[in-house]
Amino acid sequence: MADPFESYDDLEDIDDRLHAADPGERRVAIIALGHSGDPAAVAHLDRMTSDPDPGVRQQVALALGEFDGPEAAAALVKVLIDPEQAVANAAADSMAELKDPGCADAILPLVGHAHAFVRMASLRALKELRRKDTLKPALDALRDADAAVRVQAIGVIGFLKMEESIPALTAVTSDADAHVRRAAVSALAFSHMKPAAESITRALADTDWMVREVAAETLGTNANGMHAADALINALADEFWQVRLKAARSLGKMKVARAVAAIGSCISHPQANLRKEAAAALGEIADPGGRKFLEPVLDDPDPEVRKNARWAMQQIVSRKGALG
Amino acid sequence: MAMDEIVDGLSEVSCDVLVIGGGTAGPMAALKAKLKNPKANVVLLEKANVKRSGAISMGMDGLNNAVIPGYATPEQYTKEITIANDGIVDQKAVYKYAERCYGIIEELDSFGIRFLKNENGDYAVKKVHHIGTYVLPMPNGETVKKAIYRQLRRARILISNRYMATRLLTGSDGRIAGAISVNTRTAEILVIKAKAVILCMGAAGRLGLPTSGYMFGTYENAANSGDGYAMAYHAGAALANLECFQINPLIKDYNGPACAYVAGPFGAFTANNEGARFIECDYWSGQMMLEFYNELQSGKGPVFLKLDHLHEDTISEIETTLHKVERPTRGLFHEGRNTDYRQEPIEMHISEIGFCSGHSASGVFVDDFARTTVPGLYAAGDMASVPHNYMLGAFTNGSVAGEDAMEYADNTDFAKFDAADIEKERERVLAPTRREDGIPPNQIEYKARRLVNDYLQPPKVTRKFELGQRRLGEVREDMETRMIARNAHELLRALETQSIVDCADMAAHASLYRTESRWGLYHLRTDYPEKDNENWFCHSLLSKKDGRMTSEKRAVEPYIVPIGEDEKDLYDKQRVRASA
Amino acid sequence: MPLASYQTSVPVVVDDAKCIADKGCTVCVDVCPLDVLRISDMTGKAFMAYDECWYCMPCEADCPTGAVTVNIPYLLR
Repeated sequence: MADPFESYDDLEDIDDRLHAADPGERRVAIIALGHSGDPAAVAHLDRMTSDPDPGVRQQVALALGEFDGPEAAAALVKVLIDPEQAVANAAADSMAELKDPGCADAILPLVGHAHAFVRMASLRALKELRRKDTLKPALDALRDADAAVRVQAIGVIGFLKMEESIPALTAVTSDADAHVRRAAVSALAFSHMKPAAESITRALADTDWMVREVAAETLGTNANGMHAADALINALADEFWQVRLKAARSLGKMKVARAVAAIGSCISHPQANLRKEAAAALGEIADPGGRKFLEPVLDDPDPEVRKNARWAMQQIVSRKGALG
Repeated sequence: MAMDEIVDGLSEVSCDVLVIGGGTAGPMAALKAKLKNPKANVVLLEKANVKRSGAISMGMDGLNNAVIPGYATPEQYTKEITIANDGIVDQKAVYKYAERCYGIIEELDSFGIRFLKNENGDYAVKKVHHIGTYVLPMPNGETVKKAIYRQLRRARILISNRYMATRLLTGSDGRIAGAISVNTRTAEILVIKAKAVILCMGAAGRLGLPTSGYMFGTYENAANSGDGYAMAYHAGAALANLECFQINPLIKDYNGPACAYVAGPFGAFTANNEGARFIECDYWSGQMMLEFYNELQSGKGPVFLKLDHLHEDTISEIETTLHKVERPTRGLFHEGRNTDYRQEPIEMHISEIGFCSGHSASGVFVDDFARTTVPGLYAAGDMASVPHNYMLGAFTNGSVAGEDAMEYADNTDFAKFDAADIEKERERVLAPTRREDGIPPNQIEYKARRLVNDYLQPPKVTRKFELGQRRLGEVREDMETRMIARNAHELLRALETQSIVDCADMAAHASLYRTESRWGLYHLRTDYPEKDNENWFCHSLLSKKDGRMTSEKRAVEPYIVPIGEDEKDLYDKQRVRASA
Repeated sequence: MPLASYQTSVPVVVDDAKCIADKGCTVCVDVCPLDVLRISDMTGKAFMAYDECWYCMPCEADCPTGAVTVNIPYLLR
């Protein structure tokens, strides 16, 4: 009877098969290298990055995803700049799974590569590695001609959470591309500096509704979000209910009593999602002024609205009780 | 050699810790056991192939029950699970999970599994319902299994694929002694002697028959045929609250989950034919399923997944996750039916019944160390009784089981068992292959599962259950005396059919034992429609005693997180009807 | 009782021109949780031998050459 266990192949045996004339056979050998679990396989895979067959190189890029560390990163760099897009895509996905900060050395030079895809993928991989020396190249990449590159650069900067990057992040909140603006606004969340909050607040007037939505949400988590209460109250009249909903959530979290009337005005909106969050916000604020807005929705056709309204009324009552 | 030809063979191996099932809990258990004692032998046995086996074969779109500091506390979570389970919870195990799961998330992150992070690199936890915030999406969830498999290979775990465990071996002193398994492609027998055994064999998901009539179109991975439940039962372990069935909301005819946890944070919801929300329950529970069922039966049915009120950009974002990660054929399914989230709501339905503590509470009874009632035998994941585990619970409790089992194995010797047990089991397993003529397993399975739908599906009626038991008894008779398997693959299906019939018998027995209604739709008995806390505020434990199926009560352990009187019926109280 | 064979259209389709099972590849056969794929003795290519499919996709997703297509089983379509 055959050995009942999965084999841990000898890498030398697999290596023989890497020289097969048939590209299909080479692919099969590369799959085995990927599954070997043996870090020594990386060196063999590295040699295969220059295989003449693009299918083989794609397999190499996938197999490298099974490993971590500077050697794997160095080999992935070679397949990321492959002329075949399928190979580069596989390399980019594998690279995004790297966790060892030591990988950054191999990847950093690619941030200045001629192809936008390579720049984007290398920044995306650097993000998770959170190494301080990636800040400078990422800041430079904020001026990249390609929006996808700028978005990933914001990620690298945002993950590092360094206050010195705030001026640069603030500048990209007025980027020409809406995706970039969205990323920049939410990357500012961590900052304790006032200019960050001011910049997020300005984004409440962005032309793109999704940027305004992110701004309204981010102010609820930012340390200086309180200072934007009036702007958030204005956002409760935004033409998109999605933006109003986030503004209500943030004002609720911050317990802004003077927002009660404006939140209350959202409670008759036809969109149940908004009514639901407005009711919850009135509960969080727990100001007696919320009562008159909540009473009509205690009977709302939507159970979630009713539930939140009931809970909010309880909050108001118990707060009053606590105040005597 | 002809395909799947039966080969006569038997071999024996031994190890310190044997993990059966390489889906979610199993690989984590094996990994943690090995890391605890790198010198020890750990074997991971899997009916399919560890690379892509189990409930998360193709991945998972997110965590439903992540207890992340700053968003939820272990106390909050424990309270919520207790309430969602109508109080029938041993809180220690739930609390332990809640305390440990964040560490497991960090570990999974280090394995290369990407959880959704905001632009500051912090986990982007989403709020889905009223009470807690527990949802963490996984944008590359399709790589979960790959990432885990990679860790197993690095740790040089002994992996044995395509072996189906059929029975556990127990020693004369009652301790676990190992397991017997059969190769699913050759029918050769492999005996694995072990000091400790961890069962991670998933849900009993092939119990009811899907409404499409396609036997393998189940909510759970169809490979999860309840083998673990059957094996634990035959080894004498107790099984808890099996009457608390698993029933889930899903897309009509398609077994993809209804995505409350994926589309919910974006503003999608379950609606009736008036386009309005009707579910009042906050947490996924039997109560929620009852509300779903009632709406389906009412004039306001059918029930839909409603997204058409969302913005085009939002819908595109949802589609990317729903169609690419957990059930990637979903996009294909909607395409075939010409249904588009933008244009119209998507029809939903409820799933067939099953056992699964991952979604409800029906599982092999375990304590907070994942220990079953058989010394040396552990269970984790969907088949162990820690309620509402989901994927993260499987990883976390698998890790608890792996560590404790290795400690147990380090301090014990192999239990002595009767060698005749092996020969007896071999004959039992191979019996369908020895027959010249008979009924193929697919027909026996279909009939058993059709009877499950006809007689055991809630609402539960005593008289129907009794009829069901009689009819299932006839199927069992056919299965034991007439089932035929002509090759090793058919033998695999024949053995799964035995697990299915065992589970059907347990489902019926456990349901009749608890003479009250509890857990919403999961255990709704029309002839005992009320919850009876006086007599039934307890677990029910089913086990095999003197060869017979028996049930008994077991007190709920004193709570470590007290539940206030006003919170106990929180879900009942939430059902505030509109007076209009 | 005598047994009859039963016609069924299977959901998994393999493109023989792309399949490299004849070069030693067993990826799709390995990853199938229901173990329903086999390699044909005649063609050396992979095929669906048993209509017991959960249409879960690893066979298609993990195929190194993109030779496998998973369709929704007819009864569900």
